[in-house]
This record gives sequence, structure tokens and C-alpha cells, in this order.
Amino acid sequence: MTTAVARHTPTRAGSGSLTGTGTLVRFMLRRDRFRLPAWVAGMGLFVVYVGVALPEVAPTEEALATTVPIFNQPVGRMFTGPGLGLDAPTYERFFAAGYVLYLFLVAALMSIMLVARHTRAEEQSGRAELVRANVVGRHAGLTATLVVSLVANVAAAVVVAGLALANGFATTGSLLVGAATGLVGMTFAGVTAVTAQLSEYSRSAAGLAGAVLGVAFVLRALGDMVRVGGSALSWVSPLGWAGQTGPYVLDRWWPLLLLVGLLALTVALAFWLQSRRDLGAGLLAARPGRAEARPWLGTPLGLAARLQRSSGLAWGVAIVALGIVDGLFTQALVDSAADLPDLLREMFGGETMRDGYLTFLAVLVGYVTSAYVVFAVQTLRTEEARGRAEAVLATPTSRTAWAGSHLAVVAAWAVLIMVAAGLLTGLAAAAVTGDGALVGATLLAHLNLIPAVLVVVGLCALLFGWAPVLLAPVAWALVGVMVLVGNFGTLLDLPRWLVDLSPLSHPAQVPVEDLDVAPLVVLLVLAAVGVALGILGLGRRQVLGRS
Amino acid sequence: MTAPVIHAADLVKRFGSTTALDGLDLTVEPGEVHGFLGPNGAGKSTTMRILLGMLRADGGTVELFGADPWADAVTLHRRLAYVPGDVELWPNLTGGEAIDLFARLRGSLDRRRRDELVERFGLDPTKKARTYSKGNRQKVALISALASPVDLLLLDEPTAGLDPLMEVVFQDCIREARAAGTTVLLSSHILAQVEVLADRISIIREGRVVETGSLRDLRHMSRTTIVADTVGDPAHLAQLPGVHDLRTEEGHVHLEVDGDRVQPVLRELADVGVRSLVAHPPTLEQLLMRHYGDDLPARDRAEQDELEVR
Repeated sequence: MTTAVARHTPTRAGSGSLTGTGTLVRFMLRRDRFRLPAWVAGMGLFVVYVGVALPEVAPTEEALATTVPIFNQPVGRMFTGPGLGLDAPTYERFFAAGYVLYLFLVAALMSIMLVARHTRAEEQSGRAELVRANVVGRHAGLTATLVVSLVANVAAAVVVAGLALANGFATTGSLLVGAATGLVGMTFAGVTAVTAQLSEYSRSAAGLAGAVLGVAFVLRALGDMVRVGGSALSWVSPLGWAGQTGPYVLDRWWPLLLLVGLLALTVALAFWLQSRRDLGAGLLAARPGRAEARPWLGTPLGLAARLQRSSGLAWGVAIVALGIVDGLFTQALVDSAADLPDLLREMFGGETMRDGYLTFLAVLVGYVTSAYVVFAVQTLRTEEARGRAEAVLATPTSRTAWAGSHLAVVAAWAVLIMVAAGLLTGLAAAAVTGDGALVGATLLAHLNLIPAVLVVVGLCALLFGWAPVLLAPVAWALVGVMVLVGNFGTLLDLPRWLVDLSPLSHPAQVPVEDLDVAPLVVLLVLAAVGVALGILGLGRRQVLGRS
Repeated sequence: MTAPVIHAADLVKRFGSTTALDGLDLTVEPGEVHGFLGPNGAGKSTTMRILLGMLRADGGTVELFGADPWADAVTLHRRLAYVPGDVELWPNLTGGEAIDLFARLRGSLDRRRRDELVERFGLDPTKKARTYSKGNRQKVALISALASPVDLLLLDEPTAGLDPLMEVVFQDCIREARAAGTTVLLSSHILAQVEVLADRISIIREGRVVETGSLRDLRHMSRTTIVADTVGDPAHLAQLPGVHDLRTEEGHVHLEVDGDRVQPVLRELADVGVRSLVAHPPTLEQLLMRHYGDDLPARDRAEQDELEVR
């Protein structure tokens, strides 16, 4: 037999449904060679940070005991876990009670995005068809994706466990934290493998898996809130199972078996569903949209409102929720005020602890809303880079109308978010403290910072008009400064010029201080000048084409 | 005589060190379909983007309806519709929403015409744009442009990705637009399309218009291709003035002859004895080849390499 013939004869080795898996695994690892290490390194850094920061905040484990109320009371447990072992706190127990839940969440998010990216996103784009047209089996893509998830999660588990050990934490507990992190990640890889079969779109696949994660978080939160150590509700959530291992306290391995079981179940279900559908098809039918545009979708403003709607809503809900949660902490903070370490007390405003805390909350909502502003104004860059701006500007829409509409909508969302967050944070604080006056005070603290947030809109407009490539780096750097100054301005004794760089530093510290109108007027003028100059610049520069 | 709709003279546009337009002249008269032909990178899209006022020319003059496309962009855009070659839509808007949006931004939407076009192009307007193929995104932009009553259509390779059936629909629509008095600037490298639709064409290469005129004018300047099955040996035809590239393949003689030299060649062929004969005017492909002739040696070399590899 000549080699020429042999070349065209299919060999037995190349005919199974898993053919090509090895090649695909290498290919996926190559595609993710920066992304996955970044996720894992992020988790590792978090462990190191906690290990370093805890002794910094509370130099002795006795001092640590005074901060226990933050995690120990019901609202604290909602956001941290069952709160095991805090009656006799050590650094490692504090790590497990306060922070490992976030390792689980990060591992889950990493896995959700990883699986959606390599399964449904590939099918949606048609790339999977190109790959499958080669000698690649039906299940090779999903199998390779799960193998890559396993690699990533094992790496996460090893890094987390190793660095926990390096922090000087106990061996069994550290191994348990690592294993739980990796298994939660894998379980959500399995969940996403299933949701990827359901929807035709990768965003819906990731969104459905994210919803499962959200429900798991809420069930666990409610379950853990009921009593220290968790309740029956904690046991219906995969995140609850991971928490119930009780690292450094109970040190039990068997709850992890529940995660293994769910993982096996979801993986089996995913393969079963996949063998039952066509490539590219989903099990959930795609919903048809409107055949005609609504009347308001016909002006630059209408278009901008529509394009900014989902991100404004998402950021808004998240920021307001953050505000409410923080508001609910008010009483717990006041109660533990006397026992708090000096460093933390200083952060929240010294003597007038409650008002200082509310001032801080307004600043926090202010810089997160500024982050939203930067994110949202970047839409203009995307629209321009993708050629959609050109399509709009080819109609009788002026550049002023186009960019002005987006900036106006972003500014309106920012104001709405600040008002809603102020009102609801105030209501939450009033509810837990029983002091109705806090509603007005908190709202005023937030309204007071609106001009500062609008300055960020002005800066973004200025950059977009004159130096669009600098928009992202400069604007995000400013947000970074605002976060740094907002969180640590007093704590770290930052230089004056850096503090002054943050627009949030300039309004009076309501409600600790009285409202001062003068800086607000200056900030508003700065914002308006920025927007005006930015639009002027946009009119003078060329519209950048694609690529 | 009426003023031209588009008039560009000695237009220059540079991007850094590359010169995209190098003294481009282009005149489009009212009511004509003007074919704008050239290979990728010749400067077609750059010209379009200057006409739209997205880019500012570095030199020369350009007028659209007698006005400056950079300074008067918004006013001018009331009178035109633009279809790019690679339409990008908002992933979460449906095709129908995008059609209506563009038409409304342009100022008016003829609802009946819009529905009729959706029907003719066979587009499902209820699907989100992220599910559309390239061809379907192209249809969205075309339908929206054609449903707006405008004086000028700027079409930059508008049918890339459309199937042949839709290509026919597109050609019908352009004929209807011309019948209604609309001026069309149609950039393309689909030669057959320009051949069928254009009243006049301009051939652009490396940022300059190298030839402009009606198809008939350009043909006159080019050669007719003749393929004949002859009784005798036609080799001596190669000696006739105006005959080029004569070669014989499997008993058929292939030759090209200059437009004004056809008659003597036919007479000579008849003397040799003809069993069958095919003669066709130059395709636009051949017209283009004449102007990109210096690319041919390189291509031949590439083909040669390929053969040697085999």
C-alpha cells in the first residue's frame, strides 16, 4: 500500500465522538494563556492580601475579636457565610468566615465565562462549525472545555491552598478552602455546560448560569442569616455546601461530596442534551423582537437612551443594592463602635461614627457611579470604532446631537443612580437605627456629590472630543484616584494634591459638615465646560473608521 | 446644464505616511448611476467618507450639491442615504428597529415602501441584529436607504454578502431609484453589477481616477476578444496590426483585437476558414486588467510558484 492511499483512509483512531479533544484542549489553553492565569493570580493575591491586611488592621488576635461584630451579626452573615468559629476568632478563622465566600464566587464566575466562551460563543459565531468540519468528534468541544475548566480550577485550588498555608494558616483548613474553591468552580462549569445547551446565545448561556449563581447566593445568604452556622436553607445552595465545610473550625470534607454529585449530574445532563440537538441550535427558542421601532426610537436622544438602557439599569441596580446593604450595616457599626480598632473607626469619621459612616457611604456610591460614567461614555468609543457612529452621522444627525445625547443620557443615569442610592440607603439606615431623620441626611449627602460625579462626565467628554485614545486610561486613572482617596484619604495620610485631584474631595462632608453651595457651583461649571469643549473638539476632529 | 451632484477635483487624503487619495477627480451628474470601480485599497471608501464629511480632505476641492461636505454635513445628509460595505448594527436591536431608526434619523420613512422592501428582500425584521448574517445586515441598511426619499444614494459595495437572487432585487431597486430621478454613486468590485447598472463609470486605482466615461466609451478604447475554431492555420493573424495575445489551444485560436481593428481581422479569419466563432466585448474585468496590468507579472509569478509546489 502506498502512502498516498493511506493518507486518505480514515483510521479507526479518528472516528470517536471525542476525537480531537487533545488538540482542542491545547488550542483553548493557548487562547486563554493570559486570561486564566490572571483569574488564578487574582484569587491568589486576594488570599495574600487578607493574610497581610488582617494583622495590619488588628495587630493581635485579641484586637481581632473586637471586629467580629461586623461579620457576626445577621447582615454580616448574609454577605460572608455561616460565621463559624467567630466566638474564638483567629486570623485563619476570620479568613474563612469573612472572605472565602468571595473566592468561591470568583472561581464560579471564572468557570461560567470560560465555559460560555468556549462552547456557545464558538457556536454562535460559526467558528465551532469550522472546527467540527475537521476530524473532530461531536463531544470533543464540550469535553475539551471541561478539561480546560478542570485545569483552571485545579490551578486555583492549588494556588489558594498553597498561599493560605504560606499565610501560616492550618493545613487541613487551607487544603479544604482550596478544594472547596476548585469544586465550586467546577460545579458552575457544569452548570454552564448545561445552560450553554439551552440558549442560542452565549450571553444568555452565561446569564442563565449567572442567575443560578445568584439564586445560590441568595439562598445561602438567607439561610446563613437565620442563625450562626447556617440553617436548612443554607444546605440547598452549592455555595452553602462549600461554606459548611467549616475550614479551620469544623474541618469536614463530606459536604464537598454534594458538589461532586452536582458536578457529575450537570456534566451528564450537558452531554445528554448536546447529543440531542443540532450544532448551533438551542433548546430554548429565540424570542422574536419588534418588527418596527417604537415611536421614540427615531431621534439621537431616543437611540442613546436605548443603547445606554441596559448598562444604566444594571449598574444602577447594583449600586443601589450596595447602598441598601451598607445602609443596613449602620446599626451594627454603631453598636460595635466602641470596640472597633482605631484604624477602622478613623476611616468612618472618628467621634461621630454614624454620620461619618454615612458620609463615607455617599463617597463610595459617588466613586462607583463615576466608574459607571466612565464605562458608559466608552460606548461612544465603541460606536465609533465599530462604524455604527458613522452610520448614524451619515444621516442628518450632527456630531453635537449624537455625542450630546449620549452624554446627556449618561449624566441623567448618574443623577438618577445617586438619588435612588441616597434615598434607599437612607431608608435602610433609618430602618435599622429607628431614626427617621437619617433618610433626609443620607439623601442630602448623596445629592451633595452629584456635581462631582458630573465633573467626571465633563472630563470624559473632553477626552473623547480631543484625545479619544486617552479616554480609557485617563478616566479610569481618575476613578482609581477617587477610590484611593475616598477609602484611605485620612487613613494613609495621602498628599494634598492627590486628595484634591478627586472631585469627591471638594464638596462639604455632609452630614458631618453643613452643606456648602460654593464648591458645588464650581464643580458644575467645570462639568459644563468639559462637555462644551469636548463637543467642540469632536466637531473638529475626523470620525475614526473601523479597525 | 445642471450642476453636478458630486464634484471632486485633485482630492488628496493622507493617513500618516500612506497616501489614500492622490489627486482624485470625480464628477457625478444628476440622475445618473455612476459606477465607482477599483480594487480593495484603491481609495473608494476613503472617497465616500470624505463625501460624508467624516474625513477632511488634505488637498483639492470637493462639493456635494454645490456645498462643502465637511462644513455642511448635517444639511447635506438630509438629501442622501449611505450604505457601507460592511454594515454594523446594534446587537440588541432588531433589524426592523434599525431600519426605522435610520430612516427616521434621515427625516422621513415611507412605511408602505419600507414594508414592500422588507418583503422583496425577504428579511425577517423581528430578529435581533446579533443573529443576522452579513448579508442580512446589508439588507437592513439597503432597505432603510431605499425606503427614504433622497436625492443621492452613496452605496459602498452595498451587496457584499447578498445571494444572487437578492442581487437581482437590488438591481431592480436601483433601476427604480434612477427612474425616480435619484443619483447613485455605486462603488463596487462586482463588475457584472456595475456593467448592468451604471450609466458612467470611473475606475480608481491607487487614489486616482484613471479612466472615466460611459461603458461604451471605455469599450471603444479596449479590445474585443475572439475565440475561433479554424480550418487552416491562423498563426499569421498575429502579424496584423492591433492583434494581441494570439495563442492556440486545442485547435481553438484565442486573440484580442483593438476596437477599431476588428474588421480586417474578421476578414482574414474568414479566409482561413471558420467552423465556429465567439466574439465578446471586453468585460470590466479586462478593462481593469489593463489598468492594473503591472500587477499581472506578480500574479503570474505566484501562479508559477504554486504549480512548482504541486
